[in-house]
Amino acid sequence: MASVIEMKEERKDLKEELETTDMALFVRTSEESMNDWNRQRIVDALIRETYIDVDTAKEIAQEVEDLIVTSRIKMITAPLVRELVDTKLVERGLEQARKMHTRLGMPLYDVDQLILHPNKENANVPHGPEATNLTLAERIKKEYALLSVFSQETADAHMRGDIHLHDLGFVDRPYCSGQSLEYIKRFGLSLPNSIAMAKPAKHPEVLLAHMVKFAAGLQSNFAGAIGWDAVNLFFAPYLEGMSDRELEQLAQMMIFEFSQQAVARGGQAIFTDLNLYWEIPKHFENVPAIGPGGEKTGKNYSDYMKESQRFAWALFNVFMEGDGSGRPFFFPKPLVHITEKFFQTPGHMDFLHHICEVASEKGNTYFVFDRGETAKISECCRLSFKLDQTDLEDAKEPWKMRYCALQNVTLNLPRIAYLAKGDDTRLFSKLTEFIEVTVKAHLEKKSFIEKLLSIGERGPLALLAMNRDGSPYLRMHRASFLIGMVGLNELVQVHTGQEMHQSRQAFKFGLKVIAHMKLLVDKLSGRHGIHFVLEQTPAESTAYRFAKLDLRFHSPRSGDIVKGNISKGEVYYTNSTYLNNSAVLNPIERVRQEGLFHPLIEAGALTHIWLGEAKPSRESLANFVIKTFKQTQNDQIAFSPEFTTCNACNRTSRGLRSSCQYCGSTEVDGITRITGYFTKLSSWNKGKIGELHNRYRNQAYIEAQEGETVLKAG
Amino acid sequence: MEMIKIFVKAKCPKCPAAKEIGMELKREGVPVFNYDLDTIDGLAEASFYSILSTPSFIIEDEKEREVASWRGVVPTLQEVKQHLFRSN
Amino acid sequence: MIEIKGFLETSFLDWPGKICSVLFLPGCNFRCPYCHNHPLVFHPGQFASISLKQILRHLHSFKGWVDGVCLTGGEPTLHADFPLLIRQIKERGFPVKLDTNGSNPEMLEKLIDKRQVDFIAMDVKAPLDSFSYRRSTGLSIDLALISKSIEILKRGKVEYQFRMTVVPQLHSEEEIQALGEQLRAGRRLILQNFNPENPLDPSLKETNPYDPKFLKEMEKRVQEMV
Repeated sequence: MASVIEMKEERKDLKEELETTDMALFVRTSEESMNDWNRQRIVDALIRETYIDVDTAKEIAQEVEDLIVTSRIKMITAPLVRELVDTKLVERGLEQARKMHTRLGMPLYDVDQLILHPNKENANVPHGPEATNLTLAERIKKEYALLSVFSQETADAHMRGDIHLHDLGFVDRPYCSGQSLEYIKRFGLSLPNSIAMAKPAKHPEVLLAHMVKFAAGLQSNFAGAIGWDAVNLFFAPYLEGMSDRELEQLAQMMIFEFSQQAVARGGQAIFTDLNLYWEIPKHFENVPAIGPGGEKTGKNYSDYMKESQRFAWALFNVFMEGDGSGRPFFFPKPLVHITEKFFQTPGHMDFLHHICEVASEKGNTYFVFDRGETAKISECCRLSFKLDQTDLEDAKEPWKMRYCALQNVTLNLPRIAYLAKGDDTRLFSKLTEFIEVTVKAHLEKKSFIEKLLSIGERGPLALLAMNRDGSPYLRMHRASFLIGMVGLNELVQVHTGQEMHQSRQAFKFGLKVIAHMKLLVDKLSGRHGIHFVLEQTPAESTAYRFAKLDLRFHSPRSGDIVKGNISKGEVYYTNSTYLNNSAVLNPIERVRQEGLFHPLIEAGALTHIWLGEAKPSRESLANFVIKTFKQTQNDQIAFSPEFTTCNACNRTSRGLRSSCQYCGSTEVDGITRITGYFTKLSSWNKGKIGELHNRYRNQAYIEAQEGETVLKAG
Repeated sequence: MEMIKIFVKAKCPKCPAAKEIGMELKREGVPVFNYDLDTIDGLAEASFYSILSTPSFIIEDEKEREVASWRGVVPTLQEVKQHLFRSN
Repeated sequence: MIEIKGFLETSFLDWPGKICSVLFLPGCNFRCPYCHNHPLVFHPGQFASISLKQILRHLHSFKGWVDGVCLTGGEPTLHADFPLLIRQIKERGFPVKLDTNGSNPEMLEKLIDKRQVDFIAMDVKAPLDSFSYRRSTGLSIDLALISKSIEILKRGKVEYQFRMTVVPQLHSEEEIQALGEQLRAGRRLILQNFNPENPLDPSLKETNPYDPKFLKEMEKRVQEMV
């Protein structure tokens, strides 16, 4: 539809007022003069888009035309005509018709702001034309999602802030995915919509190129993380005979490729997880290895331990160096799996020291704990599960091992506590209600994605519908649906008067809430025949959004509860099931206590240890990692140092500083972990800045700590 | 005085034997608390003690400090009593 | 009884390879211009004392996690009843590490002989001549005591380490090397970078520390001296 309709009577006056650039616009649109004004178009649109009858449509069209004529508007745009029609629908009480007929878009002012100012909802999005495109598209898709994909009940729950539907701007994609390199090793790179088809790689560099391309392809089909299983192992058959130098070069290429993908979609780096193993995971030991050309090499994966280990080592050499100016790489994230078998594999202590040195120096390493003798698989979002018989069958053909989480929905837990007004029964029934809305949201998203997938390789999700091995790339029957939480600590605080670290009762109450969620989610999984799982939401902006909304709706109570600095607007709720960030809890207590929640949370649980400026010895960190594995149920830990990077001299120093330690320049930016990844402080939202000020970095408590009772667990 | 917490599940082969011990101790006047992992309170309490298998037993003193524990196994009545009446 | 002015429950830094707790004791007989602990050391009254009982209770709950306790200051050996404090910690089954400036060799020797300490880290402030030492410690120091302590440690009856905090204004490349040659301690000598955050002598705030890469290299060089 034309965007500008000009009214003939006014044409002369208008001409005189317009500057040359506007004249061009004028000429272009002059075809659509008042002569072309045809109120039938309004009628047609109403009949096409809504359910109202022709007579009503005609009446409305007439009324709108009268309004335009009598108002003597000099210029009118098509969107304005549509809004005028909508007001007529409202006047008639035709609410449903109005929703169907509504338009999506943004005010001029907002677009202006967007183009001029950086987006702070996700610190992983830089500011630039690509990023602006992404944000603009997201805004429209978000509105579309709330109007058209989800029911009103679901959408309202999101708008109120009872729950948060993540990545609404990516409503037409699943959430995150985990895959195996074996898929591209076996089938090459033959993407739907792409003109050229690449056969399976013959050389490691080519395999890497395929991996990067495929990752970029997946990024445009998923909203979030793209994970890869056992990367070092699956690369191994390509690495035989390579020198250390060549191997390190390859490792460097891999890390730089994934760290500099900021030229991809929306200027957003691909959120890449590399899962790495020192040992040969049990379920891959006797699997025939695929090598150059997609051919079986005649050996099993257990024969490639040496290459696999050398590659893992080389990757960490690169992480250790950091980027060209010594900064830690933000992506890819290396996740090292610590298992029982890890400790039985020769050289594990040296490797552990190596990755701990990187953890201390640069912070990159994630230590993922897979306890017990049963084999475990790491999906995206750290969703690990014990392999049952069908999975073990899949593991024999590892290209089949691709997983996804379809959506992530987070509950505003403190909200539940405000509503319960101290009553236990009401609290748990509200919690159940919130979870039921969440389940509804998941079912709605599922049926929407299924609709898109049903169009197959000619549809919008062609890549996910692609079928190379007898089933579509996205295996819907294996999809998980994530249910996250924010502010357990504040729920407990509102309901019991104490934060979780302040007393044993308060802590146990927190466990009770999560136990309730876990049991309910399991029950609902059975009822609906799909896999709902609890997740620790990263909640980069959700913790901020919920806190802001509760300050509005649950004041004054919420004023004493939200964390951060209210006067500066730097407010937040404590993420997921974490203990208060500022609580004086040493790392031992933190991994022990936070770890007690982890067995209840199947997807993605993590304890952060903020190191601040301190640079611990690798041996001490290794010591801590081993104890965490052996003495707790904690699922995953990461050590987060802080850095200051200088934009003047390009050097990076330890700690957060206001000026460069080397050249004294104040043109500096801080770097540390935000939720699950490293980024620059200047891109953080206000809530997270508030949290950063409060983070307890294991300083000595030298001043009196009166009133701080420290909880002892177990 | 010590107390004992017993963690069980509905479908668990060794759990009846665990419950048996609990009943016997109760008769002898020991404070016994039973937790079913299929209930909210049971699962929460089990999580607090990192109990992942059933049946499990935890003995605590009056200050809620752990005195002894058995995880995923059934001790004999005798073994349990040793820890229960140690301080008396 | 000595007052304990600071308690860090977990440190990954203070005892190589171990997870340890750290106790801070007040008072010092040196006046190093780059000292960053000085409020605690020279104005201990500003800080509340933490009772040993409370600390021991805490330590108990970290059994199996905390491998030992590091005692630091200030200068712990200034306190005559310091060995008593050590004994109470050792009785609880925790190995003990001592940070000292080496000004009390007599106490060091006794502690070592009685096997009361498991690790000693001695701060060496400058090359072993009275001028350099005075410049780095702010006072005239009896170097004989320092040398004696070095000699005691080098007997090797206890695990030990020498640490030198390096400040560009006070320690030139040559001076670092000179100390390395005097100690000839190999990998038992480590160099630490100076932290300009809050030094005793405020004029040092303006000093930029050495580039960490340079320091690593220097450390490698002095560690080759055996």
